Order: sequence, then C-alpha cells, then structure tokens
Amino acid sequence: MRRMVFPFAAVVGQEQVKQALLIAAVNPKAGGLLLNGVKGAAKSTLVRGLANLLEGISIVELPLNATEDMVFGSIDIQKAIKQGVKSVAPGILAKADNNILYIDEINLLRREIVSGILNAASTGTNIVEREGISCCQNSRFIMIGSMNPEEGSLPPQLLDRFGMVVNVVGEQDIALRAQIIRRFLAYEIDPAGFNRQFQAETLCLQQQLAAAKQRLPYVELSEAMVELTVQQCCKAQSAGHRAELFLVEAAKAIAALAERLFVSPDDVAAAAKLVLPHRIEQQRMADSPSVQPSEPKENEPAGEQDDGNQNQRQCHTEHHGYSELEQTQFHENEQNQQDGNHNSSAAEHTADIGMPLTIGKLDFNTRDRIARQGTGKRSLTRTDMKLGRYVRVENRPDSFTDLALDATLRAAAPYQRSRPRGNCALTIYRQDWRKKIREKHIGTTFLFVVDASGSMGARQRMKAVKGTVLALLQDAYQKRDKVGLIAFRRDQAELLLPVTRSVDLAQKCLKHMPTGGKTPLAAGLTMTLEVIQALKRRDKDGQPVVVLVTDGRANSSRNQSDAVNAAFEVASKLGTAGVHSLIIDTEHEFIKLGIAEKIAQKLGGAYCKIEELSTQSIIRIVNNLR
Amino acid sequence: MNTTIYPFTAIVGQDDMKLALILNIINPSLGGVLIKGEKGTAKSTAVRALADLLPPMEVFSSCRFHCDPNSMVNLCADCIDRKNSNQKADSKFAKMRVVELPISATEDRVVGTLDIEHAIKEGEKRFEPGILADANRNILYVDEINLLDDHVVDVLLDAAAMGVSTVEREGVSYSHPAKFVLVGTMNPEEGDIRPQLVDRFALSVTVKGEHAPEQRVEVIKRRLAYEQNQAEFASNYAEKQQQLAEQINKARKLLPQIELPDDLLLLTAKLSIALEVDGHRADITVIKTAMTMAAFQGRAFVNTDDIKQAARMALPHRMRRRPFEDGVLDWNKIETVFDEHQL
Repeated sequence: MRRMVFPFAAVVGQEQVKQALLIAAVNPKAGGLLLNGVKGAAKSTLVRGLANLLEGISIVELPLNATEDMVFGSIDIQKAIKQGVKSVAPGILAKADNNILYIDEINLLRREIVSGILNAASTGTNIVEREGISCCQNSRFIMIGSMNPEEGSLPPQLLDRFGMVVNVVGEQDIALRAQIIRRFLAYEIDPAGFNRQFQAETLCLQQQLAAAKQRLPYVELSEAMVELTVQQCCKAQSAGHRAELFLVEAAKAIAALAERLFVSPDDVAAAAKLVLPHRIEQQRMADSPSVQPSEPKENEPAGEQDDGNQNQRQCHTEHHGYSELEQTQFHENEQNQQDGNHNSSAAEHTADIGMPLTIGKLDFNTRDRIARQGTGKRSLTRTDMKLGRYVRVENRPDSFTDLALDATLRAAAPYQRSRPRGNCALTIYRQDWRKKIREKHIGTTFLFVVDASGSMGARQRMKAVKGTVLALLQDAYQKRDKVGLIAFRRDQAELLLPVTRSVDLAQKCLKHMPTGGKTPLAAGLTMTLEVIQALKRRDKDGQPVVVLVTDGRANSSRNQSDAVNAAFEVASKLGTAGVHSLIIDTEHEFIKLGIAEKIAQKLGGAYCKIEELSTQSIIRIVNNLR
Repeated sequence: MNTTIYPFTAIVGQDDMKLALILNIINPSLGGVLIKGEKGTAKSTAVRALADLLPPMEVFSSCRFHCDPNSMVNLCADCIDRKNSNQKADSKFAKMRVVELPISATEDRVVGTLDIEHAIKEGEKRFEPGILADANRNILYVDEINLLDDHVVDVLLDAAAMGVSTVEREGVSYSHPAKFVLVGTMNPEEGDIRPQLVDRFALSVTVKGEHAPEQRVEVIKRRLAYEQNQAEFASNYAEKQQQLAEQINKARKLLPQIELPDDLLLLTAKLSIALEVDGHRADITVIKTAMTMAAFQGRAFVNTDDIKQAARMALPHRMRRRPFEDGVLDWNKIETVFDEHQL
C-alpha cells in the first residue's frame, strides 16, 4: 500500500523544482537532483509526491539515523543462525536499485556515508566487504537530496556529483500563498478526498512521464546542440566533463517531456539553468582563493534573493562575513577614538567591534571533528563515552561494555551450527564481542583572553581585536562551539563570560567590554589557567583552545620587569599543562619589546601579529590547533 | 511514588504559555510550542500539569503505537493489516500522555533499536520501539531542548517533519507513525537552538517571571499550599480544572466546523510576505492557530483578532535572524498590514 501523500499536481508554484524532478525521474543519467532551500517550501512534499507518479518505481528514504551496515548491507543474522548460511541482508542501497533514493537533510548525514552513496550512485554498483561478507550488488538509482543551507553546506566535491541543483524559495504572490494554505488545510482534513480531487491531473502527469521515458532513447541530439552544450559549459568554466554529460542528458529529458524527438536550443538553455549554476561558483572559488566573494546570507531580505546569481551561490558556500553593504556601514560607523594615554587608568571607553574578517572557506575535513575514544582506555570516562552516535564496531574480546549487540550477533551467527546450544537460540563466545565505536561532534571550547588595558585602546587597536575575535566567534557559532571570555585590565583579570554555548552572549560581552588601565598580563594568564583546570576537571577529553590577544606590555602597580617575569612564569605553567593556544600580538609601538612572542614560546602556542593576520589564516591556524 | 501534579489552572499568570499549550491540545496537528524563558518560570510545571487536562483518545488495544482506529492514514503496518482484515479489532480509550525525552537520551532509545532479549532467545530480529513510538499521538516534551545532542536533534527533525519515524539501524529496518505534539522548553542564556529545529515548532512563547508584587506573593502562597497538602490543594482546583477540560473538549468538537473567510487567507499571506518569513509553514500555522483560537472561544468563524493573536505566537521564531542578532518581530509591520487590510 502506498503511503498517502500530498499529490504532486496539487503543489502550487515551484515550477522549476517540479521540472527538475520530472527530468530526474525520466532520465537517470541526468545525475540526480539536489533541492537546496528554505524550510517549508514543499521540497520533501514534492519528492514524496513524485513516487505516486511513477509506475514500478518507489522512493527509498534514507533516514539520518541509518548505520553503515544498514546502508551498505551486511550479513543476514536470522539466516545465519537458523540455517547456518552466510548470506547478505540487503542494505538501503540494494533496496534503492532501480528506484529513487531520497535523502532529506543530506547536509546533516555523515560524510563517509554520503560519499559512499555517491560512489555507488556513479558506478551503479555497491561493493560490500564487511563481516566476512564479500559481494557486489547492483545499485543503480536516481538520487534526490534536499537540504537547508542554514544548517551547513555540502562540500563541493559532493555537490559536483549531483547533476542538477535547484534553489527553492517560497512563493511570493499573495493569492498563490493563500491558495497554498487552502490546499494544505483541505488535504489535512481529508487526504483521500483531496487526492481524488487531483486524480485527473495526477493521471495526466503519470502518462506524460511514462511516455517521456519511452521516448527518451529516441531523442536525437544534433551536432549543433552538442556544440551549444560545450559552449555553455566553457562559458561557465565548469571543471571536468561531468557538466557536459549531465547537461546533455537533462536536455534530452526536457525534449522527451515536451513530446519532441530532438533537442532544441531552448532545451539546452533550460537544462543549463539546472546543471551549471552550482559549478560556476565552484570554479571561481578554485581559481582565486584569495578573493572571497562576500556571501549573501540566507537571512538577507527576500528581495535580494530574487537575484538569480546570488541565489545560486547560496547553495554551497558558507554563510559568514557581512555583505559589502554592511561592510561600508562598518566603516562609516568608525568612531574617532582619541589616542588614549599609554597607562592612564582614567581613560576608559568601549571600542566598537571592528569590521569582522570574512572568513575563508573552511576545510571540510576539519568540520567533522570527531572525538574517537582511543582503544584500550579503561577508565571512568567510559560511561560518558556511551553518549554519541553509534557508527562502527570493533572487535574487543576483553571488553563487555557498550556492546554492539547487532554486530556481536552477526559475528556469532555463522558458527551457530557447530557450537553447543544452551537455553538460548544462539551461543556467543568471547571472540564475538563487538564494541560500539561512537562519534560525537564535540564543539571545541574557545577561551578568549583579551588584553583590555589602556594601551590596547589606543589607535583603534581594540576595534581590530574585537573584529578578529568576532570572526572567530562567527566560526564558533556555526560549529556550535563553546566560548568563554576573560579580559584583563587595571589590576585584575575578570571572567567576563564563563564558558557557555551561547555565542550570542559572548558577542554581547565583547561589545560592551571596556578598555583602559594597566596590563596585568600575569593575572590574566593565571585566571586562564584556573578556568582551564576547572574545564579539564569536568571534561577530561575536552581540548580547550586559548586565544590570547595582547601587546605583551605587561605592567601592574608594581614595577614593569616584575610584571613581565610573573607573566612568563604563568605562561610556562600553562605551557606544561598542554593547552593549545594562539597568541595574537597587537604590539604597535615603534620600539618593539617582543614580549608577546616570548610568551607564545613559553606557552608553546602559535604566534602571529595582528596586522599580518589575513582573513583566512586565523581560522586555519585555529583549526590546526584543535 | 504517588504525587498529585500541580493543577494547570493554579499557575499564576503566564497566559501566553498556557494558551499556547491549550491550543495544542485542542488541535494536536498544530505542531507544538517552544517555551523560552528564565529558570523558575513554571515552564516545566505547566507542561507536566497538562496531563490532567488531556482528553481520552481511541486506540487499538494491541498496538504499540496507539494507532487511531478511526483514521485511514498514519497507521502502523500492523494496524493497516488490522483494518484491511475487516475483523473488529479491539479498541479502547486511553488518555493522551506527556512523554518526556530526557536530554541524556541516546539515539537508540529515541528511535528504537534491536530487541536484545528476543534476538538472543529466539535468534530473530525484532524491533524494539523507542521514545518516538511512545510519543505517537501524544505530547513529546523535551526540557532544555537547546542542550539536546545534535544527532538526537537530527532524528527528531526527521520524525517531526513527516510524522513517521524510519529506523535503519543495528540490523533492524522499521517504519512507524510518530506524530506528536512537540513541546520544548529552553533557557536562551544557555545556548542557541538550531534554526531547523525551531521551525518545527508551530508556536513560540517567551515567559518571564511575574513582576507585580501581589502576583509574586500569590505564586509563593500557592506553591506552599501545594507542598503542604497536595491532595487538598488539587481538590480546591478540581472545579476549575473540570471547566477547562470541558471547554477544551467543546473546542475539539467545534474545530472541524470553523469557517475561514477568504480575505483572512490573503491577509495572512500578506503578513508573511511583509515580514519576509521563510517558506509557507508560517502561513499555514497562523491560519490553523487562528482557527483553533476561535474554537477555544466557542466561535464558529475566524476573525481578524484571531489572526493577530496567532501571528503573535506563530511568527516571532520564524523571523530571519543573522548570527548574533535577535530575530525581532516588528510589530509595527504587522499593524500596518492589518490597517491596510481593514481599509
């Protein structure tokens, strides 16, 4: 029995999505489809509706909770135990053979699984090599994914595998919007009746699809059209030849759907709109990594989103940094800050947050920072480690905690015939024990230690510092890291923000952080040490990263050399504690004392000067630290 | 342990929160509520107190997912067979429940997993349902939802969107209905909640501690009275509880007959465009909330005020927000749209 779904034909608007879905269904060689767009714009509804239009093809859904053995296939436990036969229990990929594989929220699926699936999709075979099973299955399927870019993007190499990408936006016409609500309510009250209402349209679409599929092999592609395709692809500077192949196939499908037996220039143009956009941008980025296009964020006003180009960019780029418009505003907002006296404790003001650096595209490998529990660690922390997603198993005859029962059963199954049988259906030996390996995204903890002394207030230095920290905060926001903020000035260090997940709060604290007074560097470092020790007590495996921003010109009520030496001393302690750190030197004075650099050495941390910090490097440095 | 829960009607103030929760009981298809607020503002008390007001529903007695015998959709595989076999399957009335999802829950407990006992004894695979199965047709309550692990949020998203939980893990492959009213509470100071998850909530309300001294005194008085003698305290509110339960029941019956004038649909669409909300979930939610609101007041048609009230609860969390900025609902824009509409 088919699941009752909202009929495809009843979806108002979204013509491009509908067209792309039909193309994908008619011609598997068009390379599948990725729907990228805002929430609540009928993405999933359309995909699920498509299933009812296709005869003999079903939609196989891949839930986010799927484990690897279920995706790729593994040994059939039941058969192994009862009959002593080693056979493969087909995974989702095998089920998807000759069908459509639909992955909702594909950007949230684990990368290993996504790339495994995409591999299978491009080769048409799924090779299973696990748990004593070795086999090769057909898995030719049409892949459809959907995602909301707010939650992170797909890496370009995966994006490239999709033949077509459509950016989905909500309907903007008032009357159409009202119609959408009406239809939705009608469906909810009586799904069966609503489906009947659209029976004629549904039937019509079914016939169109079936006819197009039959016609497809006979659609002719003239030489001229091939040239046009190549021209289009060259113009878009798309890398590799995937684009041409997908483009040709999509154009053929369009012709077939339009009941024609030849491809017209319009078909190519229409196909190009679906196949090329997500490749253009990639090329541009690859060519000139130094030039970072300022990305529109998805929370930009809708008017701007109508601009096709900007829209297309959204699908695969990180959304950070501010638009050009905002950047100018930042410049205009610059306050004329008076040069504070070097050590005057009286001058106290709050610096603006400087223009945040546009952070470069991050390496996606670092995005999935995975905390793997080391083998053979038999400590109390194990109970905590039972949290996280169960991704894989390991053979651990010595350990019975966090047993992966399914894997254990699979391991024991083939031998059941030869083993003595007790009261249970199967006998499990120690060598069958499998332990779960779990993964958990752990956000790194960032501890910002910021020099807020008078010397930092001078010449808008604080503004640059705040800008830098903000850039890091934006990165932290996207990765849901934890952040804390320590500021030191006058005679003491102050924990402005205890370590929290709320990056919002950190930003507010930063904004209102006053500057002025002396530079009690040692006190700042001491507090850092205390906070880190407390953190380590709570979470032994956590690796906090300290970002220290200072000009190093330590002084306090006592004399200068004392203050510097005290700072060195604490820095050494921190260094031996094995804390990852980044020291950003803000020393601007003509005669450089280079104290910050020495501190960095004692800390064993990375060191850089604030003026040398380019947009991407800071993130790269920090990523390397963790 | 036999404790009487704090009566819902005994909660002082917090009218928005109470209204949002009641609307979700009247119309479970609405899609839940997110309650934001400081600690100690009766968030959890209110959600737990709902249990008393929840109406009974008809279920198949032997179904693990409490499928609805009167429905044609959203049935589990067994219940589809039961329906198709045409034999009179046993049904009974069970009370709608509040099912709690603790933030320490692991993914396998949430979505369900391989039945260990059955596997070892019988050598067969069988699915052991998790919290999402319990939550079908009930209220799923997540305290401190912003602290929930990312991968648990992912599976929640999946289920909340489709009303179906599909499990592909640990050797079992299973799909069952999981249509629930998602109620989450959070303290924004402790961290953000993912935008995708926020969108799954139909309504959002912000609660603040009562500031008027008399009100605060009343809060303390009632709490002390409750702690002294729970049973007696509850009995004092029995009549009020009864009244509210009846009002909810009436509203549930009235709901299918609520009329919806076309111009209000247009008004809602205008609102969404003026406020630049993403997608169409906002429109649908505003309309459904307004209809439920009308039902709660015993009115058979929706009026402009209902839409306004509904917008107040359905839109704030859907405003686009930049990182580091609060999504602010511009009430002036809403007023303008309403004014234009009235002309």
